Amino acid sequence: MPRIGRLLHGAGLLAVFAVTIFPFYWMVSSSFKTQTDLLASPPVWLFTPTLANYADVFADQKVVGAIVNSLVVAVFSTGLAVVLGTPAAFALARYEFRGKSDLWFWFISNRFISPIVLALPIYLVAQNIGLLDTHLVLILVYITFILPIVVWICTDQFRSIPRDLEEAARLEGASQFDIFWRIYLPLGVPGIAVSAIFGFIFSWNELLYALVLTRRAVQTAPVVATSFMSGYELPWGKIMATGTVIVLPVTIFALLVSRHMVRGLTMGATK
Amino acid sequence: MSFLRLEGIEKRYGAASVINGVSISAREGEFVVFVGPSGCGKSTLLRMIAGLEEVTAGEVFIDGARVTELEPAKRKVSMVFQSYALFPHMTVRDNIAFGLKMSKVPRAEIERQVAEAARILQMEPLLDRKPRQLSGGQRQRVAIGRAIVRHPKLFLFDEPLSNLDAELRAQMRVEIARLHRELGVTMVYVTHDQVEAMTLADRIVVLRAGRVEQVGSPDELYDAPGNIFVAGFIGSPKMNLVAATVTARNGAALTLANPSLVAPLQVMGRHGGGVQPGPGVGDTVLLGLRPEHLMLGDGPNRMELVADLSESLGGSTLVYAQTRAAEPVVLQAAGRQTLGKGEMFTAGFDAARAYVFNKDGLAF
Repeated sequence: MPRIGRLLHGAGLLAVFAVTIFPFYWMVSSSFKTQTDLLASPPVWLFTPTLANYADVFADQKVVGAIVNSLVVAVFSTGLAVVLGTPAAFALARYEFRGKSDLWFWFISNRFISPIVLALPIYLVAQNIGLLDTHLVLILVYITFILPIVVWICTDQFRSIPRDLEEAARLEGASQFDIFWRIYLPLGVPGIAVSAIFGFIFSWNELLYALVLTRRAVQTAPVVATSFMSGYELPWGKIMATGTVIVLPVTIFALLVSRHMVRGLTMGATK
Repeated sequence: MSFLRLEGIEKRYGAASVINGVSISAREGEFVVFVGPSGCGKSTLLRMIAGLEEVTAGEVFIDGARVTELEPAKRKVSMVFQSYALFPHMTVRDNIAFGLKMSKVPRAEIERQVAEAARILQMEPLLDRKPRQLSGGQRQRVAIGRAIVRHPKLFLFDEPLSNLDAELRAQMRVEIARLHRELGVTMVYVTHDQVEAMTLADRIVVLRAGRVEQVGSPDELYDAPGNIFVAGFIGSPKMNLVAATVTARNGAALTLANPSLVAPLQVMGRHGGGVQPGPGVGDTVLLGLRPEHLMLGDGPNRMELVADLSESLGGSTLVYAQTRAAEPVVLQAAGRQTLGKGEMFTAGFDAARAYVFNKDGLAF
């Protein structure tokens, strides 16, 4: 019986894997196909790969510029959210103060609202203060989305750090800032890394606000990728190559920080 | 003059009272042990000395200065935690140097101090390791190292050995005693283990439910426990308590009878009969006899017991038995003894080593 169970388990995992990986495979493989192979029906599984689509993409100043824009926005929004969110998480994890649970709920409730509800008000505000079509407006808006994630994950992470460490540090003369900087931040790296990955991926992939708040100057990669879909023809090869290029940085980033996601860094602290 | 003084310390969490008016003091260089069952408030008391816990009422004095509201770092105390509380992301060297760095001690001086601590604790080869690469005993040593480099006025230990196995515990106990001798610093040590208390302490403070039950040297507490609680807590195995009836009284001298006693027992109150109310003729009292003071066979006084079980410890044997009134009695006999279940035997003892407690559990 256990053998059959294991087999079923394996088969299930394989099925889920196939379903999740297939669109990705389709995008990557299509990006190396010629337009003829792409539109062939039934689809061709074996084909002679071409780099023409990529040449097309990188020749397009719009795509290159959009990737730079996306990078600027994602790095700054994620970075600032971490800088602002970790001290907030530290306070929520370790201090008792009036309105603490309300504040906590407020952070989390920011994620309850459907983004589209706020799109118009934010557009009007941005227009009135002259921030439309700037990096800054996207960074500010994305921070409001990423900050709750950072606060949420890091509060949890900081709470798991044994309190004895903080007390030992206090006895040794460490200030509250020392405790945050020298103990909670280094030990909170797994949580900070996870929230940074989520934040970066969110910023990188966000389409709605990028579409609404930008025109020409700071269009981000997802906006540009969808822009190919207008017009009389659908350049599937270029769209797929752009898609692949967009996915690449997040994948690399996730792989880089996943090393830090391993919990258990606190092992050996106590006991 | 007392070096550490607690005056009328109280601690309440809302309606729950944890410490109910504790006043104790320690001389400079003294090794004081707080002992008591879990939940008696001994760790809370220690944390209040450290400043990690606020006092609800009362005052704390260290080296003549009132420190009741002073923040922990300014009290010049070091604490070794039960969990060791080592910083897991720092090397042993950085863990030990942490407090010195916080006090902005020059680097050369830090290095000298760390090297000195490493030498005292024999852990020079471990300096560049992380805590997770150390054994429990080594981590303990690092925690002590972190405490000694700051040259505190007062060392606080919060059940430091309870996470170690028996052998290491005994070894570290000796090391802590050696450290105390070498440094000559006042130490306050919290434990629930009466063996640690007996072996390490100059003075033991026995706590129960947030109150001091008795303060005294290990020998004082062993020889003259003030009440049943202290009598049961100090000494292992626990003191036997059997009910007896007072048949005569002459000042501090009582004559006791019990169905298991072969003859009426003449016993003198250790506290001079000062305990009120003193037992009178016809009153029931508790007769306390330590297992190690009961001998198999003859003695000046004798009890008849029925054996239940005997456990050989190699060099001695623990005999679990019952009186005629089915009260459990443990006896520690020399050598190996084989007493089967239900076997009748006689246990002898010296009346000078018997304790009497009145019906309220206070020593007579």
